[in-house]
Amino acid sequence: MGELLVVVALRWADGRARVDPLTGEVETDPRGAGAGEADRCALEHGLRIAGAAGGRCVAVTVAPPQAEEMLRDALACGADAVLRVDVPEWDPRLADSGSGTAQALAQAVRAEFGEPGLVLTGDHSADRGTGSTPAFLAARFGYAQALGLVELAYADGALTAVRRLDRGRRERLAVPLPAVCSVEPAGVRLRRAGLPATLAARTADVPTVPGAVAGEPVTVHAARPYRPRAKELPPPPEPDPRLRLLRLTGAHEQRDPPRVVVTDDPGEAADELLGYLKAKGYLA
Amino acid sequence: MNQRYADVAFEDRMSHVDFRVAEKAHIVVDTDVCRSCTTKACVHACPANLFVPTDDGGILFNYEQCFECGTCYLVCDGGNAISWSYPDGGQGVVFRHG
Amino acid sequence: MRDRAGPAGAAVTVAEPERPAFDAIVVGAGPAGSAAALELARAGRSVALIERGPFPGSKNVYGGVVYGRVLDELIPGWYERMPVQRWITRRQTMLLSGERSMTVDFRCQSWGRAPYNGATAYRAEFDNWLTEHAQKEGALLVPSTVVTAVLRTAEGRVVGVRTDRPDGDLTARVVIACDGVNSFVAKQAGLYPEGQAEHTTLGVKETLALPKETIDERFGVSGDDGVDIEILGGTQGVPGGAFLYTNRDTLSVGLVLGLPGLAGQGRRPEEILAELKRHPSIAPLVRGAELVEYSAHLIPEGGYHSMPRLVGDGLLVAGDAAAMCLAAGIWLEGVNFALGSGMYAGRAAARALAAGDLRRLRDYRSLLESSFVLADHKKLRKAPGLVLSERVQHRYPGLVCDLVEGVFTVDNPKPKPGIRRLLRRSARSNGVRMRELARDALTGLRSFG
Repeated sequence: MGELLVVVALRWADGRARVDPLTGEVETDPRGAGAGEADRCALEHGLRIAGAAGGRCVAVTVAPPQAEEMLRDALACGADAVLRVDVPEWDPRLADSGSGTAQALAQAVRAEFGEPGLVLTGDHSADRGTGSTPAFLAARFGYAQALGLVELAYADGALTAVRRLDRGRRERLAVPLPAVCSVEPAGVRLRRAGLPATLAARTADVPTVPGAVAGEPVTVHAARPYRPRAKELPPPPEPDPRLRLLRLTGAHEQRDPPRVVVTDDPGEAADELLGYLKAKGYLA
Repeated sequence: MNQRYADVAFEDRMSHVDFRVAEKAHIVVDTDVCRSCTTKACVHACPANLFVPTDDGGILFNYEQCFECGTCYLVCDGGNAISWSYPDGGQGVVFRHG
Repeated sequence: MRDRAGPAGAAVTVAEPERPAFDAIVVGAGPAGSAAALELARAGRSVALIERGPFPGSKNVYGGVVYGRVLDELIPGWYERMPVQRWITRRQTMLLSGERSMTVDFRCQSWGRAPYNGATAYRAEFDNWLTEHAQKEGALLVPSTVVTAVLRTAEGRVVGVRTDRPDGDLTARVVIACDGVNSFVAKQAGLYPEGQAEHTTLGVKETLALPKETIDERFGVSGDDGVDIEILGGTQGVPGGAFLYTNRDTLSVGLVLGLPGLAGQGRRPEEILAELKRHPSIAPLVRGAELVEYSAHLIPEGGYHSMPRLVGDGLLVAGDAAAMCLAAGIWLEGVNFALGSGMYAGRAAARALAAGDLRRLRDYRSLLESSFVLADHKKLRKAPGLVLSERVQHRYPGLVCDLVEGVFTVDNPKPKPGIRRLLRRSARSNGVRMRELARDALTGLRSFG
């Protein structure tokens, strides 16, 4: 494998879209738009990994011309190259699909930079936020995917990652390269660009390739509150209505009170647990 | 007394403003100095209501929703109790209308 | 906190740079900074325009009206391209006292046609538009960057600035401080007089959304025409004033509160603003409007006498940083003075650079004096004191409303009182002595006339 090419795909969006109180229209402001926090973390990871691997880090986006500022910031932070896939400013009423974005990105990246070794994105964009673009990217490139990561580290040619699971658990992943990874806005913060690099980036050329992402009008098929299906419950077989009611409420049921075990001795606690599991039939 | 409906709640008022919160606080208050301050002008004058008097006579300060106007350090007569600066570049308040 | 901008920051002493990176650094991309950068870039000078916000205008707040005449010189035909909300064709000055109000209402339809007079505009749009002009001429905008210190040689000449970015020192032959009312650059350079708080007011403003048609109906205007209402007396005893301007589909309602008065009063700014919005003369105008932004900013209102030194060694000061804001009761202007002072600062710097003689930066002062910028401030130097005086703030609104109430209240079967007697009675009940009234009228005439 040659030098590692890390591609960071940034989503250009106004993180503070406003709903007009009078018309209900969503207003976005290109001046306030930029990369979301998750994308900024992805860029930081990309810069670190490219640095550790001695590779190149490039930042790409599918966005209208106003997004050049965001790419200039990426350059100032240390990206080796940037690329903007030019699309017209989108109508916020049209839903763009993650699939279309992924296709446009993959095509432009392949044509401009070749096959990437690692593609990084934020887990969700600030505007649509379906989080589907990285999955579609992995499919486009035919790469492994690891999405929603909180840690990402590269050492000796191996990429390891940590992902959040339910109930505070974590899973540790060894990610085979090439891969597409998306990261949560956690763990790292994008570095502050130095002044000389910032000055240079202000006048740098931002290369552009034409692209198109088809937006689909959103059609609402039905808007109803969620109502789970009713579960049928046969009435208790009591002749007396009062007894039936008591059975339903469970007021006269016999229950084992919970047993609270307080012990400082680990051995005793282990015995207690084993005994319980045996009593319940989990252990022979 | 004639009770009238108040204006929007302060939290609602501030929720309409875009604040990009920096990691570092750009306001630092020396609350030891505040304990000897009798006026505590910052508490009333700060348009973002960032300064809260505490039970022990000190001042609890916030910096997250700061308009960066400078009122607090100008009205402070407590011997430079408030160290004030601007948040890091690009952080802090972003007015869309102004 | 030592390495950061602020009242406690200190200038950094450096060796004289051999080759400064830029001809000029302009600190702050507000109206003054952009005007200065525009002038310098036009003169073929390399300029860095450093802005601490993510885009020009993002940190800036004002009442709401730009008087753009000075732009004729900077950007010919500005009024065809400027991002305007509404052109002011109707001006009102309103005195509030209790539940009463007295308004002088002036309409001038020709202000709604080229070459126009004043316009409401959003600063986020206006400042950005102005900076784009400077950028087109070749100025280099450096956003999201805070100037934390000035760089000075051992002899005290300003040779650059330190920013909060890593590796953040930037050198130049001239530095122009357009960094606003708090101007840490001018303060570090030792140009600022003491006692800034006394001459500073706090402006708080609500931007309230209403449909355009509703605004047109309520304010009696149509198309791009707008209304500007300056209010005296609605500040619950805190010296200051209030304003209400129309934008296309929002209103700007705000207060200007003197800092010493606010500090001593114990009332919060938004409470006073809520009180103003409940006044019977204001409430019908803002009824049903939705808040879209709340903002606050300081205003240097001291006028001519509170200005810092405008020229330092290698340093010029312009705009709010130079306290160039005119708050003289019937006139409330600032952006035009910022534009003017910035333009002359840029021009003076360009001339000094061309001559290779930084002592010629002193021409800035004479350029200002021979223009409206200092001429207006000098002429109206007594106005801020008069406008913020206890009599104008507390007693005259009551006096005027008492007088007018007396004139128009029909008290039959009593005969109508004479106006002179009414005036004397109103003056007495508001604690104004006739001699003071005459003296203030004379001061007013002298400073406004």
